[in-house]
Amino acid sequence: MNSLTRGIRNTFRNSIRTVSIVLILGLSIGLSLSMLVARQAVENKISTVKSTIGTSITVSPAGARGFDGGGEPLTQADLDKAKSVAHVTSVSGTLQDRLSSDNTNLQSAIDPGTLGRRFGRSNSGFGAGGQAPNGGTFKLPVMLIGTDDPASAQVLSGSSVKLTSGTLYAAGSSDKVAVIGKELATKNNLSVGSTFTAYASTITVVGIYDAGNTFSNGTVVMPLKTVQTLSSQANAITSAIIKVDSIDTIDGAVNNLKTQLGSKADVVSQKDTATQALAPLQNIKNVSLFSLIGAMVAGAIIILLTMVMIVRERRREIGVLKAIGASNVKIMWQFMAEAVSFTVIGAVLGIAIGLAGGKPITNMLVTNSSNASSAVSQTAGPGQGPVTAQAGGGGLFRRAASNLNLKDVHAVISWHLLLYGFAAAVLIALVGSAVPSLLIAKIRPAEVMRTE
Amino acid sequence: MLEVKKVTKQFSSGSGDVTAVKDISLQIPAGKFASIIGKSGSGKSTLLSLLGALDKPTSGSIEVDGQDITRLGDRALNTYRGKQIGFVFQSYNLVPNLTALENVMLPLEFTRVARRERVGRAKSLLDQVGITGDKQQRKPSRLSGGEQQRVAIARALANQPKVILADEPTGNLDSQTGKMIFDLLHSLARSQNTTIVAVTHDLSIAGKTDMTFTLSDGKLVKQ
Repeated sequence: MNSLTRGIRNTFRNSIRTVSIVLILGLSIGLSLSMLVARQAVENKISTVKSTIGTSITVSPAGARGFDGGGEPLTQADLDKAKSVAHVTSVSGTLQDRLSSDNTNLQSAIDPGTLGRRFGRSNSGFGAGGQAPNGGTFKLPVMLIGTDDPASAQVLSGSSVKLTSGTLYAAGSSDKVAVIGKELATKNNLSVGSTFTAYASTITVVGIYDAGNTFSNGTVVMPLKTVQTLSSQANAITSAIIKVDSIDTIDGAVNNLKTQLGSKADVVSQKDTATQALAPLQNIKNVSLFSLIGAMVAGAIIILLTMVMIVRERRREIGVLKAIGASNVKIMWQFMAEAVSFTVIGAVLGIAIGLAGGKPITNMLVTNSSNASSAVSQTAGPGQGPVTAQAGGGGLFRRAASNLNLKDVHAVISWHLLLYGFAAAVLIALVGSAVPSLLIAKIRPAEVMRTE
Repeated sequence: MLEVKKVTKQFSSGSGDVTAVKDISLQIPAGKFASIIGKSGSGKSTLLSLLGALDKPTSGSIEVDGQDITRLGDRALNTYRGKQIGFVFQSYNLVPNLTALENVMLPLEFTRVARRERVGRAKSLLDQVGITGDKQQRKPSRLSGGEQQRVAIARALANQPKVILADEPTGNLDSQTGKMIFDLLHSLARSQNTTIVAVTHDLSIAGKTDMTFTLSDGKLVKQ
C-alpha cells in the first residue's frame, strides 16, 4: 500500500460523510455539466442563426412595403450592381404578385376571417388583388412569388421548407411551372402534374412543399422570368435577398449597397433583427456561464472545507505518520488522493446528473427565456402588424426573423464535453486540496505528544 | 550512545515563555533500557519528543552515535525518525482504517523497503510480539488495548531502529498487561541491542530498567 491507495481507502473511512460529500459534489458537478451543455447548445444555435439570417440583407423598392406604399420596382441591373458589392455572396430577386379570380382559377387556402375582411375594407384598392369586400363573400387573393430560389426558407418565411412531393424547377427557368404550398394544393385538389390557370396561361404543378406555416403553405412559387412575362412586369423585381460572407461585414455591405443603389431602394439589414431575436439566447449563455462558474466554485469550496475538516480531525494521525518517518509530500499525496477520490466519485454522479438533466435544463432555460421574449415582443403592439399582414415584398422575408425557432435548441452531451467536465472536477479537487496541504505541512510531529 | 547536552526547550504561550525542559544533560549507552519519571508537567514527554527529533530544542544539542540531530534538515530528520527511532505511544496511535499488518508495514514504506520484504518483515515482527494468524488482518478497533500496544511495538521495531522511545507505554493498560508489554519491550531491546527510553509514572516498572532519570519542573533532579 502506498500514499495513493491509502488516500483512496480513506475516502470510505466514514460512510455517512462520504455519501454526503459525494451527493453535494455530484449535484455541484452535475449542475456545472448541465450549464456547460446548455451553454454549448445555445452557442451552436446562435452561430447557426448568425450564419443564416444574420448575414442577410433585404433590398426593396424605396417606399414600398409589400403591397402597400409605392415607388418603382427594382430591375435586373440593380441586382447586378448589388452583386458587385464587396462581401456579397449571393443575390436572389423575387417578384411578388397576387392572383385573384380575375386572373386565376385557384381558390385561396386561407379563410379571410375578421382580419382579412378588416384589411380588405381598409384597402380600398384591394380589388386589384382579390374580390371586393362585400360582406361574407370576400375572399383573399392567392399569393404568388416569382423566384429562382424556390427552396429558400427565407423566401417562403418558413423555418424550413420540405418538398413533400414532386421536384423543384431549375434556377433561371422560364417554363410555365409552379411549386405550391400543401394547403393550397389541398384546397384546390391539386397534385404533382395537375394544372391551374394564371394570367390566362396553363401552369403545371411540379412540386408541393411544406414550409411549416399556414400562410406560406397557401402560396404559389413560380420561376421569376415566367412571372415577369405572364404578369407583364418584364424585368421587375419587388424585393431581393442579398447574402454577405459574414455577420461582421454586413454593416459595410449595407452602406455600399445604399451607395450603389441610391435613393431608389430601401436596404435593410437583418443584423439588428437577428441580434434582438438572439438576445434571449445570449442571456441564457451568460446565465449558464455564471452558473457554471458558481457551481465550480461551490464544488471547490465544498472539497476545500471537507479537506480542511478532515485534516483538522486527523492532526494526531498526521503527527504519527511524521513521527514514523513520513515526509510532508507523502502525506500531502495521501490527502490529495483522498480529495481526488471524493471528486471523481462526485464527478461520476455529477455526470449522471448532467446526462439526465442537461437537456431538460437547457430546454427549460430556452423555453422560459423565449416565452419572456415573446411576451415582450407582443407588447410591441400593432407596430408588428404590417410585417405579418403584408404578404408581398419584404414582408415575407422580414417574418423570417420571428421564425428562427429559437426554442429548437439541441443539447448534445459529447465526449469532449464530458472530458471537460471531468478535468474541471479534478481541477476542483486539486485546488480544493491545496490549502489543506499547506495545513499538513504546518503540523509538527510533536503534536502527537501534546495530544497524548 | 544517546547524549543530551545542556538542552533547554521553551514554548511561547499567552502568559509569556514557558520553559518545559531546563538545561538537561544526560547520557544513555547503547542497548540500555532507561526510564524517565516525574510528575505531570515535569517535562518528560517534551524531553522524549526532543530525543525523537519531533521537536527542536531552544538550546543545547542531542547526539545519537555522535551525530547532532538538532542540526539536521527536514529531509534528514524524516530519515532519522524513520530509520533510527521507533515510537511507542500511550494511546497506541495506530492508523484506524489500516490492519495490524498494514500499520507495521507503514514505516517500512516510508524508508522505501520493497513491498514483498515489507510484508515478510511485518508478519515476522507481529509473530514476535504475539499477534498471529487472522489478528494480523484485523483493524485496531477489533484488537484489545494490549494487542494494539503490541502492534505499536512491532511498528516501532519495523526499521530496526537504534532507539525506541516509549511514552507511557503501559499507561492505558491494566497492570498485568502492562507488565507483559514492559517485559516484551525489555526482551526485544536485549535481543536486538536497541536502546529504549521510556517515560512512565509506574515506579515498579522504572525500578526494573537499567537507568532512571527523574524530572521535576523541567529539570533533571535525579539520575
